[in-house]
Amino acid sequence: MTALIWATTALLFAAGLAMVVLRRQLLAMLLGVELMIAAVNVSLVHHAGLFSDAEAMAAVAIILAVAAAEAVVGLSLILRVLRAGRGVDAGALTELRG
Amino acid sequence: MTLFAVMLAAAVAVAFAGVMVFSRSLYVSAVCLLVVLLQTGVIFLLRGAPLLGLLQVMIYAGAVMVLVVITIMATGGEPEKGFERFADFSFPRWLAAAGLGAAALEIGMTLLLGGFSDAGAAPAAPALGAAFSAALFSSYAPATEAATVLMFLAALAVLPDKEGA
Repeated sequence: MTALIWATTALLFAAGLAMVVLRRQLLAMLLGVELMIAAVNVSLVHHAGLFSDAEAMAAVAIILAVAAAEAVVGLSLILRVLRAGRGVDAGALTELRG
Repeated sequence: MTLFAVMLAAAVAVAFAGVMVFSRSLYVSAVCLLVVLLQTGVIFLLRGAPLLGLLQVMIYAGAVMVLVVITIMATGGEPEKGFERFADFSFPRWLAAAGLGAAALEIGMTLLLGGFSDAGAAPAAPALGAAFSAALFSSYAPATEAATVLMFLAALAVLPDKEGA
């Protein structure tokens, strides 16, 4: 069971990382980050069940909340960038300006 | 029995994650991520963490994915700016059939394992739930409060500014 969970975690994390690295759209990169967070949560929940570790479960609950907040902030930033007419491509965002 | 159920959920999650990476349509990627998150929720349930599985389905597969799809819809329909792929809301039939087939297979396996009463889930340690609550509101209390404040600040992020932009 542990090997299966670790393999699943690794594959899901690799898919999320590939999405962040290979895709150039901001939304696709955000989806990749969400996938990586989900992969880490799978291994944490397995660890919690294996060792009866309540703190790992608490960490997963907090990670879920923080990831939801991160998604909301990321999506609002993406919408703001789109409305500013700066496109959806991450490569176009090469400079910071107020 | 639990091993087979986890194996099925993991296989479906990994397969849809692969489709998510290689699909050109953001809408297809978002729906595939929804399937992956649902499958991870099933894995949480099977590993003896039903509350976290429920939170996963409610927060991720519910709220966050609705936000993502609405964002994709809000950014679509502007082909002159190069957003053609955003406006493509067609979903491959074979992929939808695969997802529905996997869901039917999981439900059938659950019924074969003894119905939804135990669902083949690994029994959680009796004291784990109480220890989880104690950890969340004692040693992890500052982190819990910080996450609450962060979610409130995130809600402020969606408010329009004075210019209405």
